[in-house]
Amino acid sequence: MMLRIRLTQQEADPIGGIAAAPIVPIGSALAVAASIGLTFVHRSEVSSTLAALLGILLVAAAGVVASVSALPSRAPFTAERLWLVVSVAVGAAITEYVSTLGADRPLVGDYGPLVIGILILAVAPFCTWMSLLTAGMLAAAVLAILAVGAAGGRLSGDSLVALVALDTLPVLALSAAAAGYSYAIVGETLAWQREANSAALARDAEMRAGIARSVQQSRVSVLGREVLPFLAGIMTADRITVADADRARELAEALRRALKEGIESTWLDDLAGSIAGVRGVAVRVDDPGGAARDLRADQRSTLTALVSWLSTSGRSSAITASFRARDHEGVVTVSATPAQQAPVRRDLERFVVVARSVGMRADTSVSRDNVLVEFRYDLE
Amino acid sequence: MNLGLPEHLARESMSRALAYAGQCAALVCLAIGMIVAGDAALAAGDAALPGASRDDLAALVLLGVQAILLLLLARHTTVTLTVVYLLAGAAVVFGVTILAMTPDNGVDSTNTTVIALPQLALVLAGGAGTGSLIALAWVVLAYGLAEAAAFLGAAVGGGTWVPNAATAAAFGLLVVVRVFDGVSRRADTRRETGLHRASQQTRELALRHDYELRATARLHDTALSHLVAIAAAGSGPIDERLRSGIRQDLGLIVGRDWAIDHGDTSADHDVRGAPGSSAPARRSPSVQATRTVLPEAIDAAHNAGLAVRLTGDARVLASLGPSRAAALDSAVAQCLVNVARHAGVHEAEVAIGPGHGDVTVVVIDSGLGFDLDAVPDDRIGLRTSIRARIEQEGGTVRIWSSPGVGTTVVLTVPEGGA
Repeated sequence: MMLRIRLTQQEADPIGGIAAAPIVPIGSALAVAASIGLTFVHRSEVSSTLAALLGILLVAAAGVVASVSALPSRAPFTAERLWLVVSVAVGAAITEYVSTLGADRPLVGDYGPLVIGILILAVAPFCTWMSLLTAGMLAAAVLAILAVGAAGGRLSGDSLVALVALDTLPVLALSAAAAGYSYAIVGETLAWQREANSAALARDAEMRAGIARSVQQSRVSVLGREVLPFLAGIMTADRITVADADRARELAEALRRALKEGIESTWLDDLAGSIAGVRGVAVRVDDPGGAARDLRADQRSTLTALVSWLSTSGRSSAITASFRARDHEGVVTVSATPAQQAPVRRDLERFVVVARSVGMRADTSVSRDNVLVEFRYDLE
Repeated sequence: MNLGLPEHLARESMSRALAYAGQCAALVCLAIGMIVAGDAALAAGDAALPGASRDDLAALVLLGVQAILLLLLARHTTVTLTVVYLLAGAAVVFGVTILAMTPDNGVDSTNTTVIALPQLALVLAGGAGTGSLIALAWVVLAYGLAEAAAFLGAAVGGGTWVPNAATAAAFGLLVVVRVFDGVSRRADTRRETGLHRASQQTRELALRHDYELRATARLHDTALSHLVAIAAAGSGPIDERLRSGIRQDLGLIVGRDWAIDHGDTSADHDVRGAPGSSAPARRSPSVQATRTVLPEAIDAAHNAGLAVRLTGDARVLASLGPSRAAALDSAVAQCLVNVARHAGVHEAEVAIGPGHGDVTVVVIDSGLGFDLDAVPDDRIGLRTSIRARIEQEGGTVRIWSSPGVGTTVVLTVPEGGA
């Protein structure tokens, strides 16, 4: 429950956050269109054209702030950005109120509540449900004051309640929708993660057995296939020949080497081996200190996803992953030589976003003959 | 640790979250409608207008009923409840429109916020099922019903029907959101990124690495001392302690059904099956027993021109029932035929040994060998025919092979049998 309050969809489901990014400019465009349309509808009430224009400009500004803030390259969308968007939009609502000062008919043509509501709804994938709800309520409070101000002394106390309720309806309804969406999608994601994690734990024993079997079949491998029959042969033989003794020496050497390599290598070397074996893309791992071992599980997944993605569909012909430490920072550089379907920066962006969501800072650079992704993470 | 939603759940989860969002907004609309109606009822009561007060109370009750149905729908989103909600909601719109059209209210057209409230709650509520198309279908149906109910209400109440701007705006917004959801999911970013798969793969890689390391360490610990001893011993007879040490450790590594008790016989025996080869210098009872128990295998080797070096205690084969012995014999024959055909060598070793209730026969050649993972099709059949025979008798077959090193096939069957 606490996690639900703290998390946004973008944090819980980074890819969902990327997929949702285009809704922000769409919502912003709708908001601008609404402000222009409604200003036109109540043009007869406009007393200050300048204020009316400024209002529309402020709506556009709020939309631009929201759209830029939600760009995957600027993830994560912080709470301050929500406040900035809502503040500018509320500014637009106030300006619009000023533009019709004195001539305004209540509830007709005021685009403030609608525009603020649409913008809050558009950024729902990037904010916690609590912040969305709070933003909606605070905006509604400002709008209520404006509505009372616009009504002036013309209304009695009772109809004032109705007026305020109806005036703030769009912003309240839309921010309720935004908060509801954020609450539900984060809940869905967390529930899936809990379920997947416990299933993974339950499956672990099974997977271990399967892996133990396949290890027996595979890599105890090339070596076991040589050593065991050799020993079996010696066991049943009469004599040891000179060739046997030589062979034993070779095998002993190979065995020592294999153990040393096994101790020095990490999961990333295994990934490289499996990619090279299955997809024929050479993956070089430059990790003398075994830093890949220190990555957290979710950081490993991110790196695995990136390397796997780069190695498929003819995107790269060779990949290198190198680790180095800089001050208190670990740096993983994944560099790929582009093949016929060279990756473009936009494709890499989602890995950058995912990396950010698992506590790694990331940069990409794409040129004609090199694709570079750099992840930096704190060393403990 | 898993990141995000997997591909297969994204659709349903998004659908449910969007539906929930719509229901929250719908509830706010109804709540505000009830506040407005309650407020108006109080005002009319204060102003001693019993008719108006009754109308407002009626609107309050209607909106309350719709809100209760909406909560029910949010809890149990079924097709039946969706239909019930849509019909009841349309009835509420109809009722509220008639109430709004009473002359005192000064409402003359259906394009007014009061009528929009139940209409919005109707359009926003969503319905059962997942996916953008179904959701769009419910929205269109709800919008149609909402406007039809307002039209009827206006006709009965004596007002003018004009499409409600707020309801139309909400309808448009919902269509935009649902279409966006459907289109953005089609881009398939999730599957492309493969985050879920990567997380499974990473977990497996780490486990596998751990296991491989342990297995290598185990092989290292058990086999290295023997290899070093063999290398150090140089040519000459094998020390019996080394022999029994190897036997013990091989048992630990590959299980007791592999290469068991070979060394129990005091001497090894040659069975020269190849044409033109000299007769064995010595014959022991075990070899004679073998001749009677593995006739097919020896014949097959003979026919294929393969010299078979037989070791171990062949008497244990007598503990097998005749049909099981025949199956084992056929399987061994098949192994030897394979050696003759594919291994590129002219001799093979067959070692026989008892286990704890099992009989094990090992066929070893030091020929070409092959990559187990890249076995040609014709050999899959043979391997299967060997395996099938043995497994039918409740036994197991293990194969080690490596290109350039040779092949070892271990056939194990339980003692007894038909």
